[in-house]
Amino acid sequence: MTIFLGNLFLLLCLIFSISQFFTSQKKNRFRFIAINVNGLLICSFLSFSLLIYSYVISDFSVLNVFENSHTTKPLLYKITGVWGNHEGSLLLWILVLTIFNYFIFKFYNNDNSNFITKTLQVQGLITAGFLLFTILTSNPFQKTVSEQSNGMGFNPILQDPALAIHPPLLYIGYVGFSAAFSMSVATLFLNGDQKIPWYSYMKPFVLTAWTFLTAGIALGSIWAYYELGWGGWWFWDPVENASFMPWLIGTALLHSLIVVEKRKSLMAWVLLLAILAFLLSVIGTFLVRSGILTSVHTFALDPSRGVYILIFTALLGGYSLILFGKKSKNYFDNNYFALFSKEGSILINNVLMIVVCATVFLGTIYPLIIEAFINKKISVGEPYFNSTTIPIIIPAILVMGVGPVLAWNKDRKREIFKKILPSILLTIIMTTLIFLFYQSYNLIGMIGIILGFWIISNNIILLIKKNRNYSKGMLIAHLGIGLLILGITGSSNWQEEKITRLKVSKSTQINEYNIIFKEINEIKGPNYIAIEGNFMVYDKNKNYITNLKPENRYYPITNTFTTEASIHTNLSRDLYLVLGEGNLNDGWVVKVYHNPLVIWIWIGALIIFAGGIVSTSNNLKKIKI
Amino acid sequence: MKNNILILPSIIFFLILSIFLYLLIIDRNPSEIPSNLLNKNTPIFEAKSLFKNEKFISANEFKDEIILVNFFATWCKPCRDEHVYIQRFADEKDLKIIGINYKDNNKKAIKWLEDLGNPYENVLIDKKGKIAIDWGVYGIPETFIINSNGIIMYRNVGPITNKIYKKINLIINKNE
Amino acid sequence: MNSLILRKITLITITFCITQFFLNTSYSVEPDEILNNPKYELRARNISKNIRCMVCQNQSIDESNAPLAKDLRILIREKIKEGNKDEEIYAFLTDRYGDFILLKPPLNSKTLFLWLLPIIFLILGAYTIFYHNKKSR
Repeated sequence: MTIFLGNLFLLLCLIFSISQFFTSQKKNRFRFIAINVNGLLICSFLSFSLLIYSYVISDFSVLNVFENSHTTKPLLYKITGVWGNHEGSLLLWILVLTIFNYFIFKFYNNDNSNFITKTLQVQGLITAGFLLFTILTSNPFQKTVSEQSNGMGFNPILQDPALAIHPPLLYIGYVGFSAAFSMSVATLFLNGDQKIPWYSYMKPFVLTAWTFLTAGIALGSIWAYYELGWGGWWFWDPVENASFMPWLIGTALLHSLIVVEKRKSLMAWVLLLAILAFLLSVIGTFLVRSGILTSVHTFALDPSRGVYILIFTALLGGYSLILFGKKSKNYFDNNYFALFSKEGSILINNVLMIVVCATVFLGTIYPLIIEAFINKKISVGEPYFNSTTIPIIIPAILVMGVGPVLAWNKDRKREIFKKILPSILLTIIMTTLIFLFYQSYNLIGMIGIILGFWIISNNIILLIKKNRNYSKGMLIAHLGIGLLILGITGSSNWQEEKITRLKVSKSTQINEYNIIFKEINEIKGPNYIAIEGNFMVYDKNKNYITNLKPENRYYPITNTFTTEASIHTNLSRDLYLVLGEGNLNDGWVVKVYHNPLVIWIWIGALIIFAGGIVSTSNNLKKIKI
Repeated sequence: MKNNILILPSIIFFLILSIFLYLLIIDRNPSEIPSNLLNKNTPIFEAKSLFKNEKFISANEFKDEIILVNFFATWCKPCRDEHVYIQRFADEKDLKIIGINYKDNNKKAIKWLEDLGNPYENVLIDKKGKIAIDWGVYGIPETFIINSNGIIMYRNVGPITNKIYKKINLIINKNE
Repeated sequence: MNSLILRKITLITITFCITQFFLNTSYSVEPDEILNNPKYELRARNISKNIRCMVCQNQSIDESNAPLAKDLRILIREKIKEGNKDEEIYAFLTDRYGDFILLKPPLNSKTLFLWLLPIIFLILGAYTIFYHNKKSR
């Protein structure tokens, strides 16, 4: 029954989306479009709910449930397991697509009917593409061949709250960019008609997409840090890059939209960036799901799925880019950009964001290009990305501090100096204070700290200024970036590590802490058994700080082992302890990290997200939604 | 000039997509790494033998005939699965097969070969895995074909399947 | 008294089961691998961070639990103690495993564009900025 209904709803969605693509040209179209939009929303919601229901009741007659779930999984992870696999995640994609589709339609009025209709046409094509892909190659509603009493379990590493919410956040990002993409194509068809403020329609979608993509990426990194056991949170893995590239283009797009609104300039830029942001999202989807490369993250390794996504991407991208090539001339302007102005600094950072994005893209696909041409395999790893992107990001951060302070149009150089002098002084003061306190010098670290305080100082100066003519969301988000930089600098440059073998009741020291190995226990969890080490942490004054209890777990259902690090966090550092192998006679391998300022990475990311939310809600209020 | 520049993004886009399409269509394994020793001489090494008294000296052995070198271990399940193909190589073709026992226990290895059959003309002991590193081995079982000039012609990572068995046969026939 | 013995037996059994797996794995750099000479150890760590774990997904041998990673870590330390320079150690590894094992791609004919294009991107970017700066009203 479930199988039948699920397939029925998917088929209805497909019909509605194709109908939305075609009927969008008809005369009496408001009614038609309304039926399609609402039909899409209802049917995708129903099919998604059906899949969730199947997981919750553990209906193993549905192949997708059998392959990815198990009766012993906690309820929360049964539900989030729906999108933790390839087929289910596509259903989530489709649901979010139909939700955004609905919101695009809400803008429809007599004045913009052509524009919105065209947007919905493109959006219908995109939705139809995803539906066809799902129905033909990745259908979750398939019947399990023989009767099964229980499922094949699920990777225990993925049973984590951060990871559970990570995909929905990312998909809101990607789908938001699809709306911007559709609007960009629709705008190109307008041939430069000045009457429609297409950028005003685009803005809420870009803001929403960027904000949630930020959160999605941050949660992925948080999960990696807490779960993977060696204290890293960014590896320049192809799948991480796949989400980072749309983010970079999205940031450039966001800021360019501001310039378009203010000065009617950079319009062609915005149209191209809107196309690229979504294209990169789709190419990212391709890289992850086609089996063309292997990474920590890849889902479905199936070349036929890859060919499908490739054709879909080629159609969307080819059409939109060729259209851009032909029609973007209508949106050129002859505006002069003084370098030392607000729009000048936005332009500079736009370019820098795009250069970083192009470099990351190059590094990610280069091994594939080399393999295609000379059939040799090379690796492009973290050292490459760090050495190519950081030198570009540093000037971007410097400009980012100055930008909000500058005026539109031109600012005289002496004026500028007067404006930024307070922040330069404040930066110097803050940096000096920190180093007086911490006394540990390291060139790259110092540069990082200065950059972080540079952003924060400029924000503080803006706050103090009498002129309240800035966006609150921008202030918050930029502050978040400053804190993020401090966190990244602290944890990368001043990390201390101690690797040792300890017997029970012995101790080790790191930084100013004394860690005593109190005992080792066996414990039982809902679907695992584990060895747990109990460590007591004291500071240099013999004050008790905390107990650290790292575990090594065994999950019988999937026959996998995981390590759970034990972390004690405060505002100045993380203490991160991992238990290795060992036995009562020889002692146990113990790895301790002292990671300064790590929590500021997550706080910074959260504040960036908050800034995005503030900007988005202010924007939605302005356009009266 | 300005008009032409605008079409550049679409050209780059299609170029990249064609490269992806090509990689999808051809028969490739994204996680397999080709050996860096192909078309080069075999590494020079010495090793103790499991059954024979005399030491194995590579310089004396890798010449004059085609040789198959197979890295295996008793604790490796895929090695057990592919054993039948190694045995077939020994029986059907007049092929000198050298086994290299990787990070294993001598007694266990002898018993393993007694139980499953010994296709190897000689079994070398690589207790610490140093010989394997010299051969660029990263995941056993691995199988190499060396021609009569001591040049490595082919390397397979992972157990030999029917498909790979046929491929190796072709290579052996070509080099005879 | 009995429950205490039972607990200890259970603990030992579970330890035994879990360590059966761990016998074949390690937890990245282990205490017994660490060299006594801190300069040598630092060199070893830095080289290891640039060597790819061949059987993992995008990890260096410095971080990885895999047995091959451990073997290579020990090999690198032995070679440092024997007096080999960093370049010699890298050459030893790439001779056997190819350039694939380097996480930082070397600069050679194959990787020319990889290292050159970012600079070209930057130049194009600078040109774009000045192009906008120069446009007449």
